[in-house]
Parts: sequence; structure tokens; C-alpha cells
Amino acid sequence: MKLLNEILGTRYPVIQGGMANIATGRFAAACANAGAVGLIGTGGIRTAEELRNEIRTARELAPEKEDGYKPVIGVNLMLMNPATDDFVKVCIEEKVSVVTTGAGNPGKYMADFKAAGIKVIPVIGAPILAQHVEKLGADAVIAEGCESGGHVGEMTTMALVPQTVDSVDIPVIAAGGVADNRQFKAALALGACGVQIGTALLASPECPIHENYKEALLKAKGSDAIVTGRIGGTPVRVLKNQMTVQYLKQEKAGADKMELEKYTLGSLRRAVFEGDVKTGSLMSGQVCGQLHDIRPVAEILEDITQM
Amino acid sequence: MDFEAVKEIIVDTLACDEEKVTADARFIEDLEVDSLSLVELHMALEDSLGHSIPDGEIGKLQTVQELVDYCNK
Repeated sequence: MKLLNEILGTRYPVIQGGMANIATGRFAAACANAGAVGLIGTGGIRTAEELRNEIRTARELAPEKEDGYKPVIGVNLMLMNPATDDFVKVCIEEKVSVVTTGAGNPGKYMADFKAAGIKVIPVIGAPILAQHVEKLGADAVIAEGCESGGHVGEMTTMALVPQTVDSVDIPVIAAGGVADNRQFKAALALGACGVQIGTALLASPECPIHENYKEALLKAKGSDAIVTGRIGGTPVRVLKNQMTVQYLKQEKAGADKMELEKYTLGSLRRAVFEGDVKTGSLMSGQVCGQLHDIRPVAEILEDITQM
Repeated sequence: MDFEAVKEIIVDTLACDEEKVTADARFIEDLEVDSLSLVELHMALEDSLGHSIPDGEIGKLQTVQELVDYCNK
């Protein structure tokens, strides 16, 4: 089996997660320079020009190295973003190497990406979705278990990855619950060709989230990464704080969507930019309990991927 | 494929109450179809019909009768 680095031309078989509002061009460049696929997340981007700027920033900050290594920059398309049609055009015009997709079906864009030679790697949370996108022409899939931060599915990485590997012929990348070398090796043992890492990369000096957010991550136990929105059908894994505890209480009491939205509206931006750890959405996977230091991205990646 | 055959696939993939699957039952409102079950339905129908269905087609259909008509087109 080919490893992800052999498929995408990176140093490590790692994709940096395309986290909304966090995965900026600058952060993607840092991860790409360190040897992973650096992703720009479109979750918090509003216009096509904004995305184009982020891609150009990433390219500028991650030029070809003296030894000939070309850092790999990609884009994560959050398909529910209303500007996605325009984002797709920008990805093609800017000739990004790889696109990952989440929160929807990338089918309608597949032909255009193929024609442009862009690799498409949808994030899936169930094996049947992997089969579906394989038929549509996906180059690989990211099987993301519910240990991960942010929007989650039902299946765990442990159950999802081998079942996905068995149901498709394209390469499978494991995500959710990978923050150290043991989990990396476990992912390969489950049949994955590489991993996607989000939460572990938040605890780095390069990551643009507010210092309070980083501190909260270092302090958090694994069991603090709870899921809100299960009842309403939009489960999101975040760190326990005043806002999430209140949200869960209201959700259990049967509050409607509008009422619940009062808590979550703008809450990710509050956490990321303002460092509001009380009422912000501190998205985090369960691996937060393994994070003890702020370390450079290069060091994190090297440690995780030791063979 | 007749109504009963389509109904059987719907009941099987959505695990919904058989009685709810009437001709004018709506997928989202009455049968609570979500994005995952929509793909499951799509793939189960492809298996039964023996040919592939273009992506996104099933999602455009609103009622069970529309799906039956689509399958017999």
C-alpha cells in the first residue's frame, strides 16, 4: 500500500485539518513547510477574493525549498458555505493541488476538479458515504471518527476506518483521535494510508487561535471534549464551558433551534479571535487530554509520524 | 418497480414505520430523511434497479410517489 506522502508528494503522510476560522493561509503554509498538506479552511471565509488571498499568502510563505521540496497547499471546502460555487472556481484558477470537502456532497464539482487535475478527498463519517463518493470519482477519502473536534458523525475512528478500507478501493486517511505516534501507527494498522490532524496542531506557536484557547486546550481532560447539538441533529464536539453546559441544559429541556442559536451564533469566532473561553465554542477533539505543551508544528509532525 | 417494492426499500433503509410510507409522504418532513439516509436510499435503489442513478437526482424528489415515478421512467 502506498502511503499518503507518496501519493501527494509530502514529507509526511499527514493532512492538516481544514478548521474553520483557524486554518488560514499563514497556518496552512506553516504546516506545508513542515511537511504535511497545509489546508486553508473555507468555513469562516465569506468571499472568493478572501480565499484567493489566503491561497496566495500560503504560496508566498511556503515556496519551493532549496532541496527541491515543494510544500503542498490545499483547500477544505465546507460545502454548506453559500459561496462554495465561487470558491471552487478560485481553487481551479489558483491550481491548488488538493481539495478536501466536508458537510455535503461534492458530486456537482467533481468533473471540474478532475479536468483541472485537482485531487478531491471528501471527509466521510460512514463507509457507505465513502462508497458513494468513490463512484463519483473521489481520489481518496478522509474517514473521520467522532473523536474529532467540530462537526462529528456517529462512528468512532476505530470502527470507521477498517470498515471504510474494506468497502472502497481508493486510499483511506484516518482522522479523529490521532495526536501521537501510537495513534498514528494504530491508524496505519487499521488500513489507513495516512492521517489528518487537527486538534494536536492547535497547540503550536504557529496556530493563530487566541492564547486563552490554547491554554484551555492544555488544561482540558479528554472527557471535557463534549458533544452539543445531538438532539437537534448537528452534533459538534467542543470543550465544556459555561456556554456549552447551558446549551446542553436548554437542548435537553426542548429548546428550539432559534433559542439554541443564541448561544452558538458567532461563538467560534469569539473563541478563536477574542479568546473568550467562557462563551466561545472551543472546538476540540478528545485528544485534548494528551496535549501538555505548545510545540512547533514541525516537531509535532515529526513525533507523530516516527516509523 | 411497483409501489410496494419501492416502499420495501424505503422501510429497509430508513428503518421507518411502514404505515408512514404512503404515496404522498414527504421524505424530509414525514420520513425524516437526512443526508446519510439519502445516500443509503440512493445506493439501495441503484442495487435494485441494476443501474446507476446520477448524483443528486434522488434528493430532488419530494414524495414517495415521485420516487416511484422516477424508478419507472
